Parts: sequence; C-alpha cells; structure tokens
Amino acid sequence: MSRRPVHVKINGVEREGYVEPRKTLVDFIREDLELTGTHVGCEHGVCGACTVLLDGEAVRSCLMFAVQAEGCEIRTIEGMAGPDGQLHPLQEAFRDNHSFQCGFCTPGFMMTAAALLEEGPLSEEDLRHELSGNLCRCTGYQSIVAGVMDAFGRSTPAAGQAADAATEAAR
Amino acid sequence: MRFVGESVTRVEDRRILTGRGRYIDDVKLPGMLHAAFLRSPFAHARITELEIGEAQKLPGVVAVLTGADIEAATVPIQVMAQFPDFKSPAYLAMATDRVRFVGDLVAIVVAESRYVAEDALELINVEYDPMRPIVSFDDAQDSTAPAIFDDIADNVLYRSTSTHGDVDAAFAAADTVIEETFTQSRQANVPMETRGAVADFDPGTGDLTYYAATQSPQGCRFQLATYLDHPIDRVRVLSGDVGGAFGLKGPVHREDISLAAASRIIGRPIKWIEDRNEHLQASGHAREEQMQVEAAVTSDGRLLGLRARLLIDQGAFPCLPYAAVLFPNMIRDLLPGPYRFGAMQFEGLVLATNKCWVPPYRGPWEIETWVRERLMDVVARRLGMDPAELRRKNMFDGAEEDRSISGQHLAGITSRESLERALGRIDYGSLRSEQEAARAEGRLLGVGIATFLEAAPGPKENRMFPEDAKVRLESNGHLLVMTPQGPHGQGHETTLAQIAADAMGLPLDHVRVVHGDTRQTPMNLIGTGGSRASTWASGSVMVTTRKVREKALGIASAMLEIDAGDLDIIDGMVVPAGAPAKAMPLAAIAMTAYLAPESLPPGTDNHLEAQETFTGDGIGGSGWSGGTHLCVVEIDQDTGRVRILRYIVVEDCGQIINPAIVEGQIRGGVAQGIAGVLYEKAAYDEEGQFMAGTFMDYLLPTATEIPHIEIDHIESVPVEGLDIRGVGEGGAIVAPAALTNAIEDALLPFGVTVNEQYLPPGRILELTGAIPA
Repeated sequence: MSRRPVHVKINGVEREGYVEPRKTLVDFIREDLELTGTHVGCEHGVCGACTVLLDGEAVRSCLMFAVQAEGCEIRTIEGMAGPDGQLHPLQEAFRDNHSFQCGFCTPGFMMTAAALLEEGPLSEEDLRHELSGNLCRCTGYQSIVAGVMDAFGRSTPAAGQAADAATEAAR
Repeated sequence: MRFVGESVTRVEDRRILTGRGRYIDDVKLPGMLHAAFLRSPFAHARITELEIGEAQKLPGVVAVLTGADIEAATVPIQVMAQFPDFKSPAYLAMATDRVRFVGDLVAIVVAESRYVAEDALELINVEYDPMRPIVSFDDAQDSTAPAIFDDIADNVLYRSTSTHGDVDAAFAAADTVIEETFTQSRQANVPMETRGAVADFDPGTGDLTYYAATQSPQGCRFQLATYLDHPIDRVRVLSGDVGGAFGLKGPVHREDISLAAASRIIGRPIKWIEDRNEHLQASGHAREEQMQVEAAVTSDGRLLGLRARLLIDQGAFPCLPYAAVLFPNMIRDLLPGPYRFGAMQFEGLVLATNKCWVPPYRGPWEIETWVRERLMDVVARRLGMDPAELRRKNMFDGAEEDRSISGQHLAGITSRESLERALGRIDYGSLRSEQEAARAEGRLLGVGIATFLEAAPGPKENRMFPEDAKVRLESNGHLLVMTPQGPHGQGHETTLAQIAADAMGLPLDHVRVVHGDTRQTPMNLIGTGGSRASTWASGSVMVTTRKVREKALGIASAMLEIDAGDLDIIDGMVVPAGAPAKAMPLAAIAMTAYLAPESLPPGTDNHLEAQETFTGDGIGGSGWSGGTHLCVVEIDQDTGRVRILRYIVVEDCGQIINPAIVEGQIRGGVAQGIAGVLYEKAAYDEEGQFMAGTFMDYLLPTATEIPHIEIDHIESVPVEGLDIRGVGEGGAIVAPAALTNAIEDALLPFGVTVNEQYLPPGRILELTGAIPA
C-alpha cells in the first residue's frame, strides 16, 4: 500500500513520518514516533485511553488517521513534565491522590484533564460528566476525580478557591 | 515499623505519570513480526474446509499456521486431571476439526504488520458445518445433547456433593422453608489493557523468551514449557507493567501457547496484541452461575438448615491452570459465611457449554456471598423481621470455638463489629424512618446490607502454598527484593519495599523490588492472585530480609568487634547500642563482604543474599478478611434507573501496609460489583452467538455511574505476629449483594423478589410492572 508523508509538532518537537493512509494516529504516535505513553484500549473511541491534545483539543487518536494530523500540534503524556523532569501540577495531583493503579488508562485521563484545566475549575459533578468519556477499571474513579479537583487548586490558588465554590454551589 | 501503615508515594508512579511505563504493547524487538488470529464465527461447528493459499500469497505475510501446524508443535492441554472426580477433557491450543465457541482459534497469520495480518485473515476460506450449540444450564445438563468433547460422555464435567449435620432433621423441625433460585449473568474481567505477548524464540541458542502481560511469570513459564514440550531452563518469561487483569492474566491462554509455538516454528519474534472485540468475546468470562437454595428457618429467625445446588457454566475449555472445578468447594466452604446454620447439604456442578472459557474473576467464589446475603434478606422479609436483626441474631462473635457448618474456623472474626459500625455510621434507625416517609410520598428508597468473609490467608488449619522471596544486599548497601508476584496495579514495588525497609532498617528508596524476570525471581506458580501478595509475599519478604539482616549484622559484628546482639540498623546505618559515634554505613559492610571477604574472620558468612520460604508460621489474628457493606438507593419509577445515594464500607484486613492502596483496592472492587448488577453483561443469544463485542454493548461504568464510596477500617490488632490480610477481592465479592438487597428493598411496594443479579433499567421496569416481562 502506498505511503504518504506526515509532519507534526509533537511535545514541541517537529517530527515527520511516512505512513499508509489507513494508519491511525495512535499507531503513528506509538510505532513511528516511538512515544508509547499513549495507549490503545478499544480502537473504537469509547475508552479514551488514547486521548491526546491535538491543537489544544482532547481527541481520540484511535479514531483519526495519521494523515489527518498533517501540520498539527500534538501533546501527549510525555510532554507534560518540564524539560528538567519537574512534574506538571496535574501529574503531582494524580500521584498525591493515588489516582491510578495499573496506569493503563492514566495517559488518557491525564490528557482529558489537561484540556479541562485550560478551561478552568468545575464542580465535582460537572467534572465527573467531563471525565465520563474515559474508562478506568481499577480505581472506581473517586481518586481520579479527587486528583483532578486537586489539580484545579494547584494550577493557581484562585482557581482552587473557584473550584471549591463551584462544588459548594452544586451541592 | 516506620513505613508500614503509611500511604507512602508509590515507587511505580513516576514512570507511569510520565508515559514511561513499559506495557506489553511497548515491547519492540528487532525483526519483530505481528500476529492476528482467525476466530470461529460459530459456537459449535465442524471445520470441513480450510483454505489458506490466498492469505499466504499476500505481500507482507510471513506465515499462515493452522490448528494442525500448532498441534504438531505442542502437547494437548489437560487441566487438573488429578482433581478428584473431575472429568478433564484434553484439548488443543488451536482448533483442528471442530470449533467450540465464538472466538475459538482457527488459524494464526504472522506478517510484517498487524494491518497486513488482519488483511490476510480475510483471505482465509473456512467452511463450517454447524452443530447443535450447548448454551444454557439446561442444555448442558441434558444427557441427550451432543457432548462438547469426544473424550467425555456428557457436558457435566464435575459434581461435588456433601452433607454437614442432620439436614433432614433440620427441615423437619422448621417452621418455614423458603426456596429460591438465584441466577447470575455472564460478566468479564475487562482490564483496560487487553491480552498480548511477544514470543521470541532464538534458533541459535534454543531459548524461548516470552514477554508476557501476566499475573504469574513463573506460572506462565511452567505452562509454556509443559505445553510446548520445551526445556524449562530454556524458557524465560519477562513481564513489565501490566495494565490490569483482575484474574484474567493469571492463566496461560491458548493464544500464548499458539504464539510461542509460531515463534519457534518461524524462528523470529512475534507480537500479538488482542483488539477489544477479541478481548470481549474470547479472553475470558465469569460469574455465569446459578444457585437453588432451600432454607429451613424458625419463625423467630433461627437458621436451622440449608440445601444448596450450584451450577457453574465454565464455557468450552477448562481454564489453564485455574479450571472452574476449583470453585464449587470454595463456594461450599464459604456459603454459610459468618452465620450459624444448623445443617447444610451442598451440590455443585461444573458444566461445559459452547461459550468462552472462565478464568478467575476477582473473587471467583463470589456467588456464596451474593446468594447468602440475598437469602438473609428474603428470609427476614418472609418472617417480618428487619434484615439487620436477622443477621445479628445468627452471627458468630468470633469466639475461639466458633466454627461454621461447613467446618471453617471463625475465631477472631469481626463481622459483628463491622455490621454494627456500618449501621451506626448511617444511623440505621433514622434511615428506616426516612425510608418510610419516602415511601409515603411514593419514592422508592431502599437499603441493602451485606456481610462477607474472605479466607485471605484463611484460618491456620487451611493455609496453603508457601511462597519464597529472594533478597540481596548490594555493595552500595541497598536491598534488592525479588518476588514471584506479578503485580498489575496493586503497587507491590511499593508495599513490599515498605515491608523490607522496615525489616532491614533502611530508607524506602534503598529498597528495589524486582519482579517479572523468571531468571531472577523464585519459583511460584500462583503469582499475584487470591490476595496472596499482602500476606504471603509480605511474609516471605519479611522473613528473607530478616535473614539478610542477620548476615549483615554478623559481618558488622566482626568488623566492629561488637556482639551482633548489640547492633541495630537504623536508616541504613549499623548502630552499636550506646555508641552511636561508632555507627557505620551498611554500604561499608556490604563493600567489605563483596570486595574484601578475606579481611573477615574465618567462618564469617560473607554472602549477603538469602532465599527463604514463608510457610505461614507467625501469622497472628483470625486469617479472615471481611466486613459489611451498606448501600442506599433510590429508583426512578419512570426510567428504572437505580441511583446509589450512599455506599458505606466497613472492612477489616488486619494491619494495613498502605492505606491509599487498600482503599484503592476496595473502591475498584466495589465499582466492579456495582457494574455487574447495573451495567455489564457478556450476552449470548440462544445460538451461542456472542452479543457484546464492543464497549457500546458491554457497558463499563464511568465516573458518573460509580458513587462516592465511604470506607471505615476496623484494623483489628493482631494478638501476635504478622497480621496482614488480603483485600483484593472483598469489594467485588460483597457489592452485588449490598446493591441487589437495596434494590429489592426499594421495590418492596411491588412485592417482588430479586433473584437475578443483573438488573439493568429494563429489568427494573419489568419488575415494577411498568413494562411487560
């Protein structure tokens, strides 16, 4: 099958590949770019394990072809920590709240949550709705919700108070 | 102890959080090929024609192997043939002339990429001659139906019967006999990471390296060596991070054997990563069981006798090596739970059907708790008693002489305390008044209680399967702990390090736990499962570390010329009693032992390594994990939706190593239990066709469906010795009982008995009469 070039900027680095048009974005990221932090859980867009940020939006990389990402900016879990290894507040919050066990779904939750952080704090109920596109089989979700709520507070102190207020208001 | 009891940050976390975990699909070897399996679309059929020529010709295809090719390279599988009275059929890793479930293996394509391998599957032509499928409990017990296996006369593979006490007298003395049949639907483990492996046979050395996602690396190695008839010294299993399993990845699957055989035939590494559709239909199912019970009770609520008949649908093949035949007697032993029954008669059958096989799923004996706790509620209702009161009346206190009718020694159980705490936490009396008021307004509010016991590790007299650890003090004074466990989310790299750091006297980051390399870890077939890690692995790490500590102190004693009894190890320093200034880093001792052993006095043991067996000696406490769950629901009469308003867990797992991990285990288990009641069903139609092949059909709950779960620990203090008990299964075992009890309680105005476990909204509406059944 013929191949086509694909150029992306992933975690700040320009990369190119040469792929069959039928190759999914997640397979391109994992196999061609060798960034295996993004996981494949269902290949039909339900579990959210393959979620990445594409031009800032959380998308399922199993439901896109690599060639559709031509020229796009992609962020994956490998791009969350700083270049010095300093964890992102979201990573710290996940760690401190025991927000994962086996860790297979974690990259997807992390990228979904990263997009949510950009939009500002949510009430716990709204957050649960926002996270309902990602499946976790280990935790029962409570610790993931706690982790993201905590991260809302860590990004800026004001955001934390707003999150508390939003939760309070929802109750 | 300094680290045990603390929610220390998990050792595993940083790599997982930064995307540097190494799961099976992350393994990439030079020259690696990719496999895809052709699977049967029929439940039961003869293969009359299999044409692979077109597939072989497709560019990029390296080989197409059929059942006959794999048969020639492997040994027929026969599981637990030594188990008394079990008719264990011999079967092959891949089908040859006959397929036995939808998803059965017909051929394996090995190609340059998974994409090409899947293209080639479509070019294989198979003709099937369908046979009558065995699908239901009735089919499987019908002696005129075709037998699924040629070497077994019918489809009843196992029958266990036993009588405890005078059952007939108990029923003769009863004021009331209550009969019910309770049925569970098929569910599945469904870890977020599907199955997968990379088989790498090296034709030069004859070594087979098998990269596995397994709960038991040594078990995997043993089974591969057996069924490939390959010298076990030339089989090495390597396992990294495992993306969940819940029992599914303890067994060795037919795909594993086929893949390893294919690699040996072709002489190249081959990766197989299952897709979700394959996973849902063919990886493993669970819980399709039924129990008919008769309870003989007095009008004041004493449980005189119980008759139980259990059916287990084990699917087509007995799971390797944990066949469902293991479950009936476990279920029998646990069925009376923490309650006094005067007598019990038990019959348990294991049935073969044309469906997916049944590996263990998080407490594979779970039906004992569900049926017993459902029965307690049904009995209470018939007698006009409060369900909490009936439980109180019949519960053992955990006295030294307490023994259940099935013979289980219950000394030290804290069931009663857990029940009272759960009731107190929710203010049970007020809750019942609130419920009455709600009912008066036409609202369907329900309360469910369920109590369970788990033998993790179990009472002294029936503890089995000792476990080893290997521990080495390295030259830098750090400790390497090697365990046969196969963690898949439980954080054993952390919890076992907590145990070892305390036992040795080290900072936590001076301990490294190694698992998943069978050339380093001790032999143990079970690995992680049945809540063994907390007790057995912890115990083995503790006794082995103590041994290494003793050796280190022996060397230190020689170097410092101070009696070993006067030395302690604190924070990695060997500290003489009363002379802290003479403290010496453990590293200095280790360095001497490794690099200058000749400087030590003759006869000093300079080997800073040990492997010890933990036999269970020194385990204090009852050996029983357990607790009570309490659930409050409200049902929407229009939609049939069940909303969980409160979910309370009171549990006792003895001394807690890491509270965050324990609570994570409990919440995850409860979520799976809730899911089995409200969402998940691995459905088949009457032809044995699988109906739940996507996540749009098999519904895993999301963050909006699983409620906040409140947890209270009893942490009963050990009288003496180690008292760490398992907590892996409890949540999943007891949640279905608590939830279905709450649902039946909510539906009280309709006078229905809930005798199925799977209660999606449509079924609720049938029960209320809103839609026809």
